[in-house]
Amino acid sequence: MIVLLKIVDVCTRVEGHGNVKILVHNDEISNVEFDIEVFRGFENFLIGKNLMDIPKITSRICGLCYASQTIASCKAIENIYDIDISKQSILLRRLLLIGELIKSHCMHFFFQSLPDLFQIFDFNRKFLSPYDLIKYDPDLTTYIYELIKIGTEVERGFGGRSVHLITPIPGGVIYLPSRKNISIVRKYFQKALINLELMIEKFIDLFSNQVPPKEYNLPNIMYMALNNLNKFDRYEGSMKIKVNETNIIEFQEKNYVKYFNKEVDLRGIDFHFNKDKMILVGPIARFKIIDNYGIDNINTYIEFFDKSWQNSILYSNILRLMEMYFEIQKGLEMLEDPVLNTRIMPPSFKPVKNSEGMGVIEAPRGTLLHHYSLGENGLPKEIKIFIPTEINIPIINEMMIRYAQEIYDKTGDINFVKKRVQTIVRAFDPCIACAAH
Amino acid sequence: MKPRFSIVSLTGCSGCISTLISLDIFPQFLERTKVIYFPFISDTENIEDCDIALVEGCISEQKDITYLKKVRKHAKKVFALGTCAAFGGILSLSFSKDAKPISTFIEIDGIIPGCPPPSKLFGNLLIRLVENKEINLSEKVMCANCPLRENSEVDFNQKITRINPNPDEILIGEENLECFLKKGILCLGPITREGCENKCITLGFPCEGCLGPVSKDFTANVINFLSLTNLSEDLKNYEGIFYRFSKPKLRR
Repeated sequence: MIVLLKIVDVCTRVEGHGNVKILVHNDEISNVEFDIEVFRGFENFLIGKNLMDIPKITSRICGLCYASQTIASCKAIENIYDIDISKQSILLRRLLLIGELIKSHCMHFFFQSLPDLFQIFDFNRKFLSPYDLIKYDPDLTTYIYELIKIGTEVERGFGGRSVHLITPIPGGVIYLPSRKNISIVRKYFQKALINLELMIEKFIDLFSNQVPPKEYNLPNIMYMALNNLNKFDRYEGSMKIKVNETNIIEFQEKNYVKYFNKEVDLRGIDFHFNKDKMILVGPIARFKIIDNYGIDNINTYIEFFDKSWQNSILYSNILRLMEMYFEIQKGLEMLEDPVLNTRIMPPSFKPVKNSEGMGVIEAPRGTLLHHYSLGENGLPKEIKIFIPTEINIPIINEMMIRYAQEIYDKTGDINFVKKRVQTIVRAFDPCIACAAH
Repeated sequence: MKPRFSIVSLTGCSGCISTLISLDIFPQFLERTKVIYFPFISDTENIEDCDIALVEGCISEQKDITYLKKVRKHAKKVFALGTCAAFGGILSLSFSKDAKPISTFIEIDGIIPGCPPPSKLFGNLLIRLVENKEINLSEKVMCANCPLRENSEVDFNQKITRINPNPDEILIGEENLECFLKKGILCLGPITREGCENKCITLGFPCEGCLGPVSKDFTANVINFLSLTNLSEDLKNYEGIFYRFSKPKLRR
């Protein structure tokens, strides 16, 4: 007799509603899938909306990646109008993306990742509730709270609100920061660097002499990220896909269709140029594409983690800390630019020049691309939004199947499998709200 | 005894939850309460009895209803957190999906509106909840304390032709700021509850109505208001305004 058993478990400590579906066939695990049930249909209802309204609506796709969604959307619309925005606006957008990154990376690091790392490395300490976590190391908790506050203050200071920003619109960021404004953010960033240094030191103390279990090793995959002349850049540059060490494809976002595409209103992104390998986006991909952040301190920190980490998805935990450190350093440089508080008139909008527009950004979780096509009435008739988490899902699934089969063979305990495979899901920091767009 | 809280997410963007975690008083909130269910940061899977449940997100699927009813059963008080839970929210723009406020299916004890709820308002209300006090929202509309109000009697004859100012019109800190409606730009301030310190307006953007109306149905308010104004033809047909944060309630 064939016995088929489907086990569905709700993922906890992820952003939004996701399930892990495990299929047991004759007492063997035949499939494991990360499943996002909800589908909201933004690509559908954005059709026909006023172009100037779209960034405000796309922001509401996600309360963690709001700045990335809005700014990618603004870039796509500016591409349609063929307008360039001021250097001041670019700086402000970059600063808003930094604020978002700090909040998003910190929330993931502390609430989602840290308890798993303790479990993965068998530290004999369980965090059964958020209270256990908060009490574990009060200093660390304070650094995290302070960093989240700093991210929030940057968004409030330059964006008008902590989530769903007001000031970024097509044409730029319509806000003139005062000197006081800038000096407050400078103080916050300086404080953030100190906190991060202390956090990184703690992280090194805890984990640098550990060897990540091989179950967390990434399969043989490709990496995709935005980069700017081989430098780390989340706002502008060209897109790169690293197929292997010697084969790196570089292209502009307007040519993305050559490499990947999607069906509107359907899940999944199809990388049709190479069907053999899956593709990863996010902190690890960003790092693999540039190889070096170009900041000495960061190189020193990274060297604490030996080769065994470099192909592990757990490496992203280190890189998230490094990305915050890198971006805050860059943020401090941006704050010194006199153009930041110079009154500059935004560009004026001439009639629409292109019938299509694309905007790409590196969101906290990876490459985010918006592509809008206009109909004859000048309003969008097709909207495509490429979400980083959707790109990563095939890799998450493959790693979960491999891991689940292995631990089920060893233990025969399906409840243990259920709990354990979730640590793989969380290591990828999936954004379910975005994926459920 | 510390009050027991559950923080629940339905269909939405998690922006209200991320706002909650970003509040200055979040550490204090955790300190003074016992958060027993909060899937975003905790592993607890079962909904247990609690004093207060904060629910973000709208009801879009059948499973949301079952989940919500379970929350209601276990909570002494339930509050709708954010505009999705309170009025339906941004998903109301969808033709094919439901976006119902939670009050369609359960009795609620109040709302904390906004997309996202303004931090100051949210923080103040949250402290009152922690102290087991009633929460009250202002009964005034945005215009009551609007910085552009000075010489304003809204002139309903002015033709409203736009919903967004041009970027070069958004002058910051200029003294000649004038009511948006007088400039022919639609501002939903006259029908939107105050509570956000006129954030958008202060920054040069008209109110998009995210805090919802002071009373009654969201869409009915928008339609009543727009019927008083001299609205251009193309705006009259633009769902982007009517259904921005809520769908009309239909009675059979």
